[in-house]
Amino acid sequence: MMFGRYNDTFRYESGDILVETERIGGLLTYLRRCEGQTFERLLVSETAEIVINPVEPVNLPKEITDYLLMEFSPMLIEPGVTQTVYLKFPVEVGVFLEAARDIEVLDVFGLGTQKYTLYGPPTSGVIARWYRSAVYTEVPTVEPFREGVMELSIQNASHEWAEVSCAVFDSVDMKIYYNNVVTTTARMKIITPTMAETDFTDAPLRPDMTRSIELYTVRKIPVINRGYLMEWGLS
Amino acid sequence: MTFNVTEVLEIPIGVGSITVESLLYFAVILVVGVAVARVVSTNVRRALMERLPKSERELLVKLVYYGIVLWALVIALPQLKFDLSGLLVAGGIAGLVIGFASQSVVSNLVSGLFLMFEHPIKIGDGINVAGVSGSVEDIRILSTIVKTHDGIFTRIPNEKVFTSNITNYVHNAARRFEYQISVRYEDDADAAIRIIKEVIWTHPFALKSPAPSVFVDNFGDDGVNLTAYIWAPARNWWDVRTSLLWQIKQKLEENGIEMPYPQRTVWFADELKVTTGDTGTKGAEE
Repeated sequence: MMFGRYNDTFRYESGDILVETERIGGLLTYLRRCEGQTFERLLVSETAEIVINPVEPVNLPKEITDYLLMEFSPMLIEPGVTQTVYLKFPVEVGVFLEAARDIEVLDVFGLGTQKYTLYGPPTSGVIARWYRSAVYTEVPTVEPFREGVMELSIQNASHEWAEVSCAVFDSVDMKIYYNNVVTTTARMKIITPTMAETDFTDAPLRPDMTRSIELYTVRKIPVINRGYLMEWGLS
Repeated sequence: MTFNVTEVLEIPIGVGSITVESLLYFAVILVVGVAVARVVSTNVRRALMERLPKSERELLVKLVYYGIVLWALVIALPQLKFDLSGLLVAGGIAGLVIGFASQSVVSNLVSGLFLMFEHPIKIGDGINVAGVSGSVEDIRILSTIVKTHDGIFTRIPNEKVFTSNITNYVHNAARRFEYQISVRYEDDADAAIRIIKEVIWTHPFALKSPAPSVFVDNFGDDGVNLTAYIWAPARNWWDVRTSLLWQIKQKLEENGIEMPYPQRTVWFADELKVTTGDTGTKGAEE
């Protein structure tokens, strides 16, 4: 298991991922290899811990947006009905340096490729990280470090049938938990057949999970549980 | 003994014909003027908090404050029997001179304020205005600073910015660019289109939606001309544009599809005879 807290030197290697720190002379060297790409930093620290945990999947190959668009098989939802489904979402791994006074992002990496899309019209829409998932009624098996499980509760609060095949989230209020699987819990409230509110809930999928340090808290972005209003359609 | 307020107010204070009443009016107008000036300047400061740098904001706040106080003073002074008609004439002439002299300054100032409230451009935006292309470095009260793509500092007066056509390349979330790609006539254009779409798909910032469009556009002199329309995030489109084209060329060549070279087929009406020196005719070729 790669996720967790590390003091001084450590080494984790599995498949295409290698993360290690080694002490050469008085300096600590952080090295990461992932799918052929290498990242290396010298660390000058006496007390810092290295924290590795899953983070919001909107940082690779570089950070251009806060939004995540999950596409899934179209669902027709009856008015007034609430349904919980499970989706697979992409995982990115964040490496943090935590000292008593401050915490800093050291590295973000991930397996697989990324794709971005536009939600809404070019004039007023938003760029979002795109990910396609099948719809599951039970927690699916996922490939570690590549995908996580999103529990999505969809409520049709409108008076009409609604067809839904995508959900857009503002990752700034994303809460991620992990143990041997990475999870997040989200809600989608359909207001009209073309409009919905989405947000994340701060709850683990299982009781024995650890809460991730999110990038937005490290970057000191003030957030008031803001959610996202999908006003450009649900499919 | 009775106390008559009216009589007290009409008591002269000993300077000309100024009474207690007119002195009180003068003081009240001045106090109200100062109070109004404070309220207005505080609100101006608050409104411009995130729109202007501190130095320019404070200058503007002071201008507003002292402008209102001066206005109150001009209203109040007649209470002390000051004849402002001379001042008005002098002020009028001075105003005319200053007005003509500062016409462009005021015009730039007002244009700058409009720019700040209308927000057609923001700091960091890639723009083209008044023939200058680059990124906005700063929007000041009188001028806008643009850093051209060559890294040149360019100051454009706000009046010019405001009255010119402004092209903001990053105002929208996404923008489209296009490639013209030619393949030989003997190559399979359908295969070329499929390969180009596959390469576009592999780029993270070549947007999935709006979907890219690749099609046979026309038949050129040397080959079949394909056009590819690709959407990318407005702030990253140049990176996408510069990285994709070479990848497309390499992938096409890996699959045996090549760019056509200019070529011309020449037909001769008669047989072409090749002769060498004095040996006479050696043969004939078409």
